[in-house]
Amino acid sequence: MDIRRYDMIVIGAGPAGLSAAIEAAKHGVKPIVFDENARPGGQLFKQIHKFFGSKEHKAKIRGFKIGEELLAEAEKFGVEVVLNATVVGLYPDKEVTVKIGEEIQHFKGDSILVATGASENMVNFKGWTLPGVIGAGAAQTMMNLHHILPGKKVLMLGSGNVGLVVSFQLMQAGCEVVALCDAAPRIGGYGVHAAKVARCGVPFYLSHTIIEAEGDEYVTGVTIGEVGPDWKIIPGTEKHFDVDTICLAVGLSPMSQLLDQAGCQMKDTRGGFVPACDAEGQTSVPGIYAAGDVSGIEEASSAMIEGRISGITIAEYLGFAEKEEKESRISELEAQLDTLRQGMFAPANRGKKIEKTEEGIAISENLLVKGFVSDEEIGRFPGVTKQRKIHPVMECTQNIPCNPCQDACKRGCISIGSNITSLPVVDKEHECIGCGLCVASCSGQAIFLVEEDVEPGYGEVTMPYEFMPLPVVGEKGIACGRDGKAVCDCEVTKVRTSPAFDHTNLLTIKVPNDMLMKARFYRAKKEAAYD
Amino acid sequence: MIDIRQKLEEIGAFEPHADDGLLVCRCEEVTKGEIRKAVHEGIFTIEEMRRYLRNGMGLCQGQTCGRLVKSIMAAELKETPDYVEPASARAPMRPIEMEILGKDQGGAYE
Repeated sequence: MDIRRYDMIVIGAGPAGLSAAIEAAKHGVKPIVFDENARPGGQLFKQIHKFFGSKEHKAKIRGFKIGEELLAEAEKFGVEVVLNATVVGLYPDKEVTVKIGEEIQHFKGDSILVATGASENMVNFKGWTLPGVIGAGAAQTMMNLHHILPGKKVLMLGSGNVGLVVSFQLMQAGCEVVALCDAAPRIGGYGVHAAKVARCGVPFYLSHTIIEAEGDEYVTGVTIGEVGPDWKIIPGTEKHFDVDTICLAVGLSPMSQLLDQAGCQMKDTRGGFVPACDAEGQTSVPGIYAAGDVSGIEEASSAMIEGRISGITIAEYLGFAEKEEKESRISELEAQLDTLRQGMFAPANRGKKIEKTEEGIAISENLLVKGFVSDEEIGRFPGVTKQRKIHPVMECTQNIPCNPCQDACKRGCISIGSNITSLPVVDKEHECIGCGLCVASCSGQAIFLVEEDVEPGYGEVTMPYEFMPLPVVGEKGIACGRDGKAVCDCEVTKVRTSPAFDHTNLLTIKVPNDMLMKARFYRAKKEAAYD
Repeated sequence: MIDIRQKLEEIGAFEPHADDGLLVCRCEEVTKGEIRKAVHEGIFTIEEMRRYLRNGMGLCQGQTCGRLVKSIMAAELKETPDYVEPASARAPMRPIEMEILGKDQGGAYE
């Protein structure tokens, strides 16, 4: 009976852990990766939406596809992944105890990378223990991994990217999202994610929180109310909704206990209890590293880069890579990471209210509170131009690190430039042919094609559409505005799908010319009604 | 080192609130009122609170309530959450059957 020794032990087979193991294995390190789950990939396989960023960040690729690519790469480089393996202890001398099957096994690593990720935060309100109150992550697991609907009518608490993305996915799965509320006065996530949810007709209640989940055996309703400056409910502002599910997306906390146990110096921050570590993930204990959400909450794209940085650092630490090799690879990776940390939502800007874009354009106030840019505000953004002939209308109004639209347009109609966070600009010199590749490439589903006078008095709007069943050509329905309210009757004139669009279908509707800058969503007649 | 007596004086006596019955730690059924009251009995750290009320000692090991308990304690102490010292992390990090733990002889099984 002995302790098994490995060059590198990775705890957690999510985006950070797998990336680190791959990077180290490329240099000859033999890593072993433990994960307590039955499937590798961490949260990646629940992410069915397209990711943001640039080509090198795998932008416009859906999260689960990135997960598949990562697993294939891990296999190619001989990374050993042990599943259903729960690490129960990590000690300063780099010994790891793992529950595998019905036994505790002991391992010793010359290096350890902790990439255990994060867990969802909870909030307390009357009735929060009723069945039907679930985390947004749990809702995603049910829908996207197990294909089970979490409920029929859902209220979402939390307007960060998780709350927004999961609300949209709930609707894609066939749930009704009755409202999205957040105690904060402004929407926390990307405006484009909020806009996607708002145009489906979901009302946003900012400065609102849950007072009570109702029901005896399970959730049958919820009451929310407006919070005042003292965070207390303002009497008389209560609103009731009949729901069977309350979804909570109120942030994540790093699962850093193993690092604490190993004697790593820890920091108690507003973002949770995290290890003190350098830019390469080295903690205060030599040979123990941390990468991904466990060292501070970000998202999967940055976790993968952080993992790679720790991976090459470990390879050098163990003598598998030269110092120069490490340094050049790290500078390349750090440049990628820096790009992701630019813009309005950069970690450095957390909690700050940004009034203007980098271009000096006033941010849409309506977007921050209601979830959509108003008809009056939309015209001031550079992606929105008025032309008679077909052209893209890019309702991208916040500086986020993302540029697939620029590469998507082969005609040169769309320009972002070298600064990845710049708002896309329509270049009128180049002629749009209406191919729709930009529409499908936009991870924020914020690009539309607009053409006036396809027949007297009528024009066409082409929109990204990711709902089933797909409408059919000739179908008569209702066009909805950015706020999700019906604006006019319309007819479906084109439905395009293509492998190049990767499941973002292009739906073209015919509306009166004066509705071309208003109509942004389509509903079949029976579901929609005018106010 | 916190002067417990001075701090207790500073925060005043325990006052009942309408939401004292709210469950915070569902694994061990510990309420908000119990946690607030314990603070007035001189429990200022998570470690002590866990031993005193058993919050965070159940199946999820405080994964759900840990942050909430910290903020309830901090509010009661009129401080920010980082004032409340976290609990030590110990093995086993995840719930594990005694039967399995008992078989552990310090090595790997082939």
